[in-house]
Amino acid sequence: MGDPFDLAAGWLQENLLIPALYQFGLMNWEDVSYNWALFALYGAAQVAVTFAVCLPLEHWRPVERWPDSKAVGVDVLYTVLSRVGILPLVTYVLFYRAQVSVSGWMTDQGWVPPTLEGLFPALLGQQVLTFVLYAVILDFSDFLRHFLSHQFRWWWALHSLHHAQRQMTFWSDDRNHVLDDLIAFVWFGVIALLIGVPPLQFPLLVLMLRFLESLSHANVRLSFGWLGDRLLISPRFHRAHHGVLGAGDRSCNYGSVLPWWDMLFRTADFSRDYVPTGDPSGEEALATGTWTQQQMAGLRRFARAFGRSHVRYGA
Amino acid sequence: MRRLCLLLSLCFTLPGFTARANAGGIAFVIDSAGAAVSVIDMATQKEVRRIPTLREPHHLILSPDGRSLLVGDTTGNQIMFLDPNTGEVKQRVPVTDPYQLAFSPNGKFLTVNGLARNQVDVYDAATMKLVKRFPVVATPSHLAYSPDSSIVFVSLQDSDKLAAFDLRTMTPKWTVPVGKTPAGVLWLNGKVLVADMGTDYIAVVDPETGKVLEHVETGKGAHNLFLSPDRKILWVNNRAGGTTVSMDAATLKPIRTYAIPGGPDDMDFAPNGKIWITRRWAEKVAVLDPATGTFETIEVGRSPHGLFLNPKGPAPAVVSSR
Repeated sequence: MGDPFDLAAGWLQENLLIPALYQFGLMNWEDVSYNWALFALYGAAQVAVTFAVCLPLEHWRPVERWPDSKAVGVDVLYTVLSRVGILPLVTYVLFYRAQVSVSGWMTDQGWVPPTLEGLFPALLGQQVLTFVLYAVILDFSDFLRHFLSHQFRWWWALHSLHHAQRQMTFWSDDRNHVLDDLIAFVWFGVIALLIGVPPLQFPLLVLMLRFLESLSHANVRLSFGWLGDRLLISPRFHRAHHGVLGAGDRSCNYGSVLPWWDMLFRTADFSRDYVPTGDPSGEEALATGTWTQQQMAGLRRFARAFGRSHVRYGA
Repeated sequence: MRRLCLLLSLCFTLPGFTARANAGGIAFVIDSAGAAVSVIDMATQKEVRRIPTLREPHHLILSPDGRSLLVGDTTGNQIMFLDPNTGEVKQRVPVTDPYQLAFSPNGKFLTVNGLARNQVDVYDAATMKLVKRFPVVATPSHLAYSPDSSIVFVSLQDSDKLAAFDLRTMTPKWTVPVGKTPAGVLWLNGKVLVADMGTDYIAVVDPETGKVLEHVETGKGAHNLFLSPDRKILWVNNRAGGTTVSMDAATLKPIRTYAIPGGPDDMDFAPNGKIWITRRWAEKVAVLDPATGTFETIEVGRSPHGLFLNPKGPAPAVVSSR
């Protein structure tokens, strides 16, 4: 019996995607469609697992209770678009071939893009260990990207959409401006060129990491304890990063999964306890607008960021 | 009891018995998404181990001297040389985006299609030095040579075209429209056959002019073409229809259609008359008995793609590599 995700993706491919592609004369997309089916199924599983675990947690020990949760609805849309829908497809189409092209060009110049397995041949075949090493490196690179997104006025203008949510829940993890997502994809692509990130070889482990990222945004009073909070990022730790006093360049706790980088660079703050979230300096539309309104408000703030150098951002 | 022992010891020393015990044959199946090559014992039809590749292998080809099996790893930007008898990794050579690859019949050239980089690279097969790079309009996918090794024909999958390159002058010969989504290419009886994945036919093309002479219906999403070892039967895998069709190689008349669901892709022929077919989205290889139309399945990795049978090779050792 094969992997159920693979078999389900194969079923989707054969019975839904291929007939549609054939009908519309798009059979040259058949490889992309299969990869999308896999992405989408793993994404749907991520959402389902996160929902099944986080929703009871949020009902059990919520940090905040709101009279209505309308603002959360948009975050659900962000999650679906990001994990199940169009974003994985766009990512694959845009970046897969670009990455192949650039890495191939580098090989032509006599510089073979390095990989961890190339540097340490003993890793070949040690898939889980290789993945763990890649995960640690990628988590560090994501920490750097995230830290920098708080330091540059124009970048913060985009990233502030993620911080605008006052009703932060496990759905808020994927709440990002599309340009901010684009930068993250390019960032990831560059890192992939430098260390050769493997493709979808470890989907279940990726699922677990994405679950932890979602959990860290959950509206729940949950800490992993003194030691646990220093090993993995908990909702308590990450909530401090989203606190109203932490917006912009004065934030803390920039890590995604591992708190080690914050501890190393002295940006960790373990003392803040379940603070209110949001970014008071942003337009209201960033917090409570529709998906389109939020994206437009982010763009406006992005444009303004280039013209108001005297104004301290994040204030 | 003594007689029984004598009989048994005699059996074990008989050449025929020894040959049967070892003559399983070894098969290699590429798992594109799983970054591995499955090693299969042909006798038991079981996967016995996986050879890890770097990133994303797709196709493989035996070297002209039969000593190496070349596995192209596209995003890994390397060709891995395996011992076709054991699967031992002998060498890794940096090559950009090696998707489909094939040696010319005279053994002089190795043509490598860089599908994602829109390039067709011709290497000196002996030295692995790049002789010529042909930029193409879109995604070079499959390839075939003329029997005299003078021309290589390459399907450009994201366009409607087939390209021909003259290997004597190292110049493009022609690039012409042949169908919606050209895929598999095969030289047969002085013509070039091109499977059109966007339609239900193969195009018969004049190798000199590139003119499409006729269309022959095979099934939805005609993907790849293979000639039986006796050169009498043409086999066509139809990707969208989930079928494999046998055709008379001389007349191109269909003989029989077999249901092979799960995206039939690559194919190879076993000496016992059975046909091995990778099923791209089913994590399986089908072993088709053309006489009965039934097939057995072999469980392999996530995305079985390129396939190579070495029936003369020894049965592979069972070694867990992961």
